[in-house]
Amino acid sequence: MMQNPYIPIPVVVDKIITEVTTKDIKTFRLAFVNTEDEERFQYLPGQFGELSIFGKGESPIGIASSPTQPGYLEFTVQKAGVVTSELHSIEEGFRMGVRGPLGNTWPIDYLKGKNVVIVGGGFAFTTLRSLLNYMIHEDNRSDFGKITVVYGAREPGLLIYKDELAAWEARDDVDMNVTVDKGDAAWTGREGFVPAVCEQVAPGSENAVAVICGPPVMIRFTLPVFFNLGFSKENIYTSLEMRMKCGIGKCGRCNVGSRYVCKDGPVFSLEELDKLTKEY
Amino acid sequence: MLKKIGLEKLDALASALMERGELFAPVAGDAGVDFQRIDNPGDVTLDFYNTLRSPKEVFFPQADDMVRYRLTHDGVETEEIPLDFEPRIILGVRPCDVRSFEVMDRLFAGGDIVDPYWEERRKSTTIIGYAFDRVDPADFYTTFGIGAADPTGSDIFMIKGEGDLFLKGITERGEELLGSISVLEDVSPENEGYFEEKIAESARLETRILATEGVPEKLEAVFEDPYWIEAAAPCLNCGVCTYVCPTCHCFDIQDETLFGKGARRRIWDSCMFTDFTLHTSGHNPRTKKSQRLRQRICHKFSYYVTNFDVVSCVGCGRCIRSCPVHIDIMAVVEGAAALP
Amino acid sequence: MKRIETRLREEARRLLETGEVEVVLAYGRGYDDRHPMPCAAKTVADAERIVFNEYCTHNMARYLLDYPPGTRIAIAVKGCDSRAVVVLLQEEKVRREDLVILGIPAVGMKDPRTGRIIDASTTCGTTNPVLYDILLGEKAAEPDTSPYDVLEELEGMDGADRWAFWERELSRCIRCYACRQACPMCYCDPCFVDQAEPRWADKSPSLESNLMFHLTRFYHLAGRCVDCGECSRACPMEIPLYLFHKKVARECEEMFGQAAGMSVDDKPVMLDFRVEDADEILL
Repeated sequence: MMQNPYIPIPVVVDKIITEVTTKDIKTFRLAFVNTEDEERFQYLPGQFGELSIFGKGESPIGIASSPTQPGYLEFTVQKAGVVTSELHSIEEGFRMGVRGPLGNTWPIDYLKGKNVVIVGGGFAFTTLRSLLNYMIHEDNRSDFGKITVVYGAREPGLLIYKDELAAWEARDDVDMNVTVDKGDAAWTGREGFVPAVCEQVAPGSENAVAVICGPPVMIRFTLPVFFNLGFSKENIYTSLEMRMKCGIGKCGRCNVGSRYVCKDGPVFSLEELDKLTKEY
Repeated sequence: MLKKIGLEKLDALASALMERGELFAPVAGDAGVDFQRIDNPGDVTLDFYNTLRSPKEVFFPQADDMVRYRLTHDGVETEEIPLDFEPRIILGVRPCDVRSFEVMDRLFAGGDIVDPYWEERRKSTTIIGYAFDRVDPADFYTTFGIGAADPTGSDIFMIKGEGDLFLKGITERGEELLGSISVLEDVSPENEGYFEEKIAESARLETRILATEGVPEKLEAVFEDPYWIEAAAPCLNCGVCTYVCPTCHCFDIQDETLFGKGARRRIWDSCMFTDFTLHTSGHNPRTKKSQRLRQRICHKFSYYVTNFDVVSCVGCGRCIRSCPVHIDIMAVVEGAAALP
Repeated sequence: MKRIETRLREEARRLLETGEVEVVLAYGRGYDDRHPMPCAAKTVADAERIVFNEYCTHNMARYLLDYPPGTRIAIAVKGCDSRAVVVLLQEEKVRREDLVILGIPAVGMKDPRTGRIIDASTTCGTTNPVLYDILLGEKAAEPDTSPYDVLEELEGMDGADRWAFWERELSRCIRCYACRQACPMCYCDPCFVDQAEPRWADKSPSLESNLMFHLTRFYHLAGRCVDCGECSRACPMEIPLYLFHKKVARECEEMFGQAAGMSVDDKPVMLDFRVEDADEILL
C-alpha cells in the first residue's frame, strides 16, 4: 500500500549544535532509523520537513542540509512554540520523526548557467545554506556562474553556521560577504545592514538571479536594491512562511489565494507572488 | 434491478444492511436528524428534509486518530491505526450530498498525494442515495446541475412512493448489494412505470439558482473591495457553517494526551476561527472577520475552481439554515459578483 | 412591532444624518421575514433597510466591541440586550458617552427555528430595557414569574442525575463555538480554549474536552451572564446552555444580592469585594 503521508519517518538525533549566544537557535542532525527511509527521502534545497514529537505535535522546518551530504538531515530550529520548545530540551539520542520532503525547491535548473546572488538575514539562512552547499559541491559547481552571498545578523553572536561561514569565506569560488548591523569588541568583520552590503557587492542583473530570505523588514529594504540594479521580478526568488499543518495541501490552512504555500511553495518568484492575493 | 419495501419495514431493511456491513444512516436526535453509525435498526429514519450535519463525517470524521501513543520514561510507544475498513453502507444520502463526495474526492484523493483516510473509507462504502420530494427555500443545488432525483454517484438510489420505498441499482456494486437483501420485494411491471414517474416528478423540482458564470475571476478581481467588510458585519466567526457543510475540509492535526496516553489526531478546524492562520511568531495574515469571510467565499467559489475545476459548494442550504445570524451564502456571492 | 420598526428607522436616520453616530446596530432583512440579520447601518440609505419584528432576537451588544474604542454607536436593545450593554459599561469595554441606546420593550418574541413564541421562563425575564436614551415603544408589564422557575426540574434531580443530564447534553457539542461567539461577554483574546500553552482543553469534541470548555466558560461568565439566551439559540445542536447559566446566575444572586447588568453603578460580583459578602464561596 502507498506510504501514508501523515505518518512520520523515524529518526534519531545524532548531534545538536547551539548556533547562537542567546541559545534559542539550535541545529539538529537527524539520522534515519531505517535505510529504506533514507533512500526514499530524495530532496533538493528549498524543501522542508514536518518535525514530529509524539505527545507534542509537529513543526514545519526548512531542511538546512544539502542532498550532497548523505547519511543525515539537518534542521536549524528556533525555540518558539510547543514543539520547538520540546526540541530544545532534548538530548542526543532522542527518537523523533520527520515527514517529508515537502514543498517545492529553489529553482535549481533555472539557476544553472547563471550568476547567483544569495541574500539571507538572521535565522532565515537555513535553506539558503542547503542551496549554497549544493551549488559549491564539486559535482555541481561548474553548473553555476559567479556565486555571491550576503549574510547578515543583528550582532556577531546571532550569526548561525559560524564555522561554515569561515570556510565559505576561505573559498575562492564564492564571494562571501558576512556582515552584522553592529559589531562587538571582538568583531573584526564587516559592519553594515544587509541591503547596503547588497548594493556594494551584488553583480549586475544580466544573466543573474537573486535568492532572498529574511525577516520582512530586511526584505522590504533589500528588494529595491535589486530592482535598482535591474533585476526583474522573475529573477528574484524568496521563500514564504505560513502556518502549516498537513504540509501536503489538504488541510486548507496555508493558502495564499489558490496556492498552498506547503505544496505550490514555499519558494516563489516575485513575479508569481505578484499574481497572488495580498494576504500573507 | 428495481426493488421495493413497505416504509413500515424500514427497520428490517436496516437490519439486513447491517448484516452486509457497518451501516450509517439518519437518526432523529435532539436537534434534528443526523447520520450515525447504526447499532439498533429501529433508530433509522427517512423522515426528514435533509440532515443537520452533512454525511462527510462518514469519510472524514471530526476526530480521526492516526497514531496512538503512550509516553514512557524513556520514550514513546506508538501504534499506527490500520487503514483497513470493513465494508460500510451509507443509507439515505440526498443527491447534493452524493455530489459533495465527488467534490471532496478531487482534493483528498486526487493529485500525486492521496489522503488514505478518506480514500480507504470511500472505497469501502456503498452509497444509497435518496431523492428529494420537495424543495427548501435555502437550497440552491440546481445551480450545479444536481437534480432533486439525481442518481449520479449513488450505488443504489431510493425514492418514496405511496407507503413504499423503491430502490434501484445504479452501479454494479449497488446491484450486487440490492440483489442480496432478501427482505426486499420485486417490483411488478406496472410499478416500474410508477418508479420512473416519481423520479420524473422529483426531477422537475428546482431550487433557486446562483449565477456562477465568471464568478471565480470576479471574486479575485474584487478581493480588495470594502464590500467584504459589510458582508461580514453580522458574522459571528463561529464555525457552524464550516461544520455543517459537506464540502468544507479544513482540519488540524493535534497530539492530544491525557495521563500519558493519547493520539495524534486529525480534527476539523475552521477558517472562520480567529486563530486559524495565527503563526507561532504572533503574525496573523487574517486578523479581521472580513478577511476570513472573504477567504471562505473565495476558497469555495474561486480557488477550488482554479485548483480542481469545480465549485466547492453543492447548494445544500445547511449553512444558511444553521447560521446563528442567518447569513445567506448565495446572497454574499451574488453581492460580490454584482460589484462594478 | 410595526410602530417600533418605524420609530427605529426614524431614529437611525436622524442619528446618521446629523452625524451624531457613525453606526447604528440594529436588524435588517435576511433571506426571508422569519430570518432577520444583525445589521450595521452606516448611511441614511442603510437605515432604510432596518426592520424590527418578532424574530429579531439577536443581542446587538455582541457587536459593540467590533468597533474601535471611541466610535459613536447607536444600538437597538431589548430587555436583556440592555443588561449586556450595562455589563460592558461596568467592565469599561465601552464608554457611556459613545453610545446612544435605543430601548425596545419587546413582548412576543419568536424563535426562528420553530416559529413559536419564546417561552419567557427560558429568558432573562426583563421585558423593558434597564438602560436607554430613547424608548421606542410603550413599556410593557414585567413577567410575574422568576427567571429561575425553569430550574425546578434540574434542581429537583440528585447529583448523579444532574451530572448524567449535563453529560448527555454536552456530549452533543461539536465545538463550533457559536455559543461563545454569540455572547457579548465572551471577548477574551485569546480565549482560554484556544491556548496551546497551557493547553486547558483539547480541540476534539470528546466528552472530557467539551466539559472542560463549557464548565470553565459557565464559570467565566458567573455574575456577568445576563441570561439573554443567545448562546442556546446559536447552538446548532440545541444544547440548553441557558439552564446552566441560570443556575450560576441564581447562586450569584443569592450569595451576593445582585443580578448581572441591572445598573451601571454596580460592578460584576466577581470583580468586586464587599466586607459583607457571603463566605460560602470559600468553604
